[in-house]
Amino acid sequence: MELFLYAACCYLVGVSTFFFPRIYQVEAHYLSNTAALIGSALVTIATGGYYAGSLATDSLKWGTYSLAIDGWSSFFLLLTGIASMITSLYALGYGRSYEGNRLRNLGSNWNLFIVSMVFVLLAGDGFSFLLFWEIMAVASFMLVNHEAYIRTTWNAAYQYLVMTSLGTTFLMIAFLIVGAYSDSYSFVDMAHNSLTPQMAQWVFVTAFLGFALKAGLVPLHIWLPQAHPAAPSHVSALMSGVMLKIALYGFGRFMFSFIPTWSYWWAAVVMLAGAFSAFLGVLYAQMESDIKRVLAYSSVENMGVIFAAFGCGMLLKVTAGGHWYLIAMAAALLHAFNHSIMKVLMFMSAGSIMHGTGSKNLELFGGLARRMPVTAVCTFIGSLALAAIPLTCGFNGEWLALQGFITLARSSSAHDIRLLTAIAMILLGFTGALALGCFVRYFGIAFLGRERSEIAAHAHESDKFMLSAMSISSVLVMAAGIYPMPLMDLVAQAIGANTRMFTANQAMWWGTSAYSPILLLVVLAIVGGVVYLFASTAKYEVKEVTWNCGTDPTARQQYSAIGFSKPVRRAFDYILQPVRQRSYIRKDHAYFGRQLEYKLELPDMISRKLYQPVQKYFVVSSAFLRRLQQGSVRLYVGYVMAAMTVVLIWGAVIK
Amino acid sequence: MIDLMQAFTDLVYCLGQALALLLIAPLITGIVKKCKAAFQNRVGSSIFQEYYDIYKWWRKPVILSPYTGIIFKVAPCIYFITTLVAAAMLPNMFAKQIGFGDVFVFVYIMAIGRFFMAVSSMDAATAFGGMGGSREVYIAAFVEPVIMLSILSNVIHTGSTNLSGMTLRPDEVNLTVAGVLTCIAFFLVLLAENSRIPVDNPDTHLELTMIHECMTLEYSGRLLALIHWASQLKLLMFIVLFSLLYFPLNIPLVLKVLIATVAVAVVETMNNKMRLFKVRIYLAAAGVMLLLAVVAQ
Repeated sequence: MELFLYAACCYLVGVSTFFFPRIYQVEAHYLSNTAALIGSALVTIATGGYYAGSLATDSLKWGTYSLAIDGWSSFFLLLTGIASMITSLYALGYGRSYEGNRLRNLGSNWNLFIVSMVFVLLAGDGFSFLLFWEIMAVASFMLVNHEAYIRTTWNAAYQYLVMTSLGTTFLMIAFLIVGAYSDSYSFVDMAHNSLTPQMAQWVFVTAFLGFALKAGLVPLHIWLPQAHPAAPSHVSALMSGVMLKIALYGFGRFMFSFIPTWSYWWAAVVMLAGAFSAFLGVLYAQMESDIKRVLAYSSVENMGVIFAAFGCGMLLKVTAGGHWYLIAMAAALLHAFNHSIMKVLMFMSAGSIMHGTGSKNLELFGGLARRMPVTAVCTFIGSLALAAIPLTCGFNGEWLALQGFITLARSSSAHDIRLLTAIAMILLGFTGALALGCFVRYFGIAFLGRERSEIAAHAHESDKFMLSAMSISSVLVMAAGIYPMPLMDLVAQAIGANTRMFTANQAMWWGTSAYSPILLLVVLAIVGGVVYLFASTAKYEVKEVTWNCGTDPTARQQYSAIGFSKPVRRAFDYILQPVRQRSYIRKDHAYFGRQLEYKLELPDMISRKLYQPVQKYFVVSSAFLRRLQQGSVRLYVGYVMAAMTVVLIWGAVIK
Repeated sequence: MIDLMQAFTDLVYCLGQALALLLIAPLITGIVKKCKAAFQNRVGSSIFQEYYDIYKWWRKPVILSPYTGIIFKVAPCIYFITTLVAAAMLPNMFAKQIGFGDVFVFVYIMAIGRFFMAVSSMDAATAFGGMGGSREVYIAAFVEPVIMLSILSNVIHTGSTNLSGMTLRPDEVNLTVAGVLTCIAFFLVLLAENSRIPVDNPDTHLELTMIHECMTLEYSGRLLALIHWASQLKLLMFIVLFSLLYFPLNIPLVLKVLIATVAVAVVETMNNKMRLFKVRIYLAAAGVMLLLAVVAQ
């Protein structure tokens, strides 16, 4: 526990670099990110020490405030430590591009953000949890709003602030209810509450709304695809990789300790909300042309998969009982960890692309693999992982989740369970295939083919800090994919399962089904070696320009990013409702010499159908309320008197 | 040590099985073509024509566009390798199954090949490549949920996600509503997944109709041979899987495979290729059948 406090000291040193004089901003930058790096390393070591030690719940107390670590939080601490170590290394290089642009703010807010996330996980009572939760929200708001002079960034940041405050409101209600029924706000006492089933329902509703908002589940996701692209890349990496997982931590804390008797409908709601988020998230991810928005929507998708698995586990516990539900919970946790490292990798490589080209528009790229080879390899590995390809870590969680759904279908022959499982599996099937398409498009358009613009033709590779951070996380993605056994042990510990429950003979194991990545790798390598020997093309290669019906091929003949996703957009146009516009720039003649311009807008369906009407209602009703606010002091005195009269009469009546 | 020996023997058997399937695969495609020719009152080429084609391509030069990189050369090999490894996973044929995965691993191993092929389609910087890749991922988006449902339906019946546990017992006649619906639906998926009529036409190179052929347009020589061979193997693999897991009658496996092969030819003769955007309706039909089958069991 003391090590965490040393880590906090490191982070505070990082925060204090804000007070460096402006001429030492580069030194402040290096100091703050190194401090974050060391602090995160300490957090990782301290968590490792917890695992190596007795695994007993360890805590520190100051009056009613306390810090504690247990199995559930230690898993997330490890995730936070590793992800923030890698991103801090990356930030050492990436932050330099903000030189002269409030570099000291970036460094100190970065430290504040990490330290608040670590301490949300360490919080041992409701008040400290909410306190650090709010510091986390404010720190991430300031980081998103770093380039506040850009209008869209400013909008995104304030939208994020409003949404996250709304989420905190729900969480406060949840904590207050549980606290009221246990006469204490310490987590240990809150676990022994006397909640009636009626009130437990309200706790579930408010906690789920609060955490789902932070996790970015549909329909509460609208801040996410705005905020992630607006933030600097290493910030979006950490927001997506860690902050969203902290929502899962909080939700699990409520579900496992405060309201452990679940109802059927809670489970169904969580599962379906997750599955729909996964589907809608990946659908929008495939439509976007802004590389960071693609990744942001992909985060919505993956959080959806995680919550679908979590809901599946809840449903299994409600209907089947026993320990069957642990498989789905393990899937949720494993995928949370894996998604954290692969999304960190992908946001870092997106940052590298932006650094090398100065743009984040997919339509302008092409052929980047020739100019940014390391970034290309790292992005390719990340794309494979996000497309849930076996041997990368993305597949393992997916495999466990599918096993969970199959277990759920077999657990009962009731039609409603069958139907729920079938719906979830259909949506996850769509999700898997669309994610594959999405990252085929992401990688193919950006890195292959020919340069679609000047900026792609003059792209340059990033510096050593960024490349080493990306390489480290690529290696982690592959290692966690090929040898998931240690990770599975940690997952099993976090959910209180037997460590040998999901693994046997160096393979992932459930019931009669097994998946052994190592054996798969060996077989692929053997077959691959044989094919390489027989089918080597070395002696047969001829270089020739691509045949283009006799004309010279141009870069504009390639499929564009928008064009690539057209079939899917058209197939789902009743959900996406794209707004197409075709106008003539020049029209000399009806049939030739025309110059056309196409416009395509894909406003988020939820934001258009749900939020905009509500927003409109608020604007209209506040215009009405404005009539009350005339600015005259006499009128306000009148209001005060009227209010007092009402209160007095009311008091008299009640008495 | 004995365990390791056993695992090694299993491995050799399974790879032998994959190799055998690989050698038979062009013959199956040849039979489909011959049947189609017969139904259309044509003589058609020899049923061994596919072997001659592969042999021919094998010796031809491989033309590479200057824009292509390593992905372009690697993708056909990965497609071939992953299809071969998937073939090694098919259960209860000649050998015991090696334990590196269940049906989901099988499905996702094929996704490796699809990922690489779709990515490589954009490498030669042509319009056709991107078109093929785009349509491939579009079809895949609708095939995948149906495959998931067909797995679910089968698992509810057999109680296992292990491929050898999922096979019907040799003497089993599964003529229930669910069994028959699942069988029909999986056959529809088989056609879609293997780019056959009515979803795709494997014989044309007309840009408006093609999907799979579009992706492979820039390939030549050995690389093209690898892609074609892998596609043929994939067709055979799906037919075998269909016969083992879903064919509800009690007849020998070879007969089941032959019936399915001829059925593919019949469907291809009697139908036209449908419009690209109708494919989702075709697959939705399969999905609805499976949903009924899942609930009916």
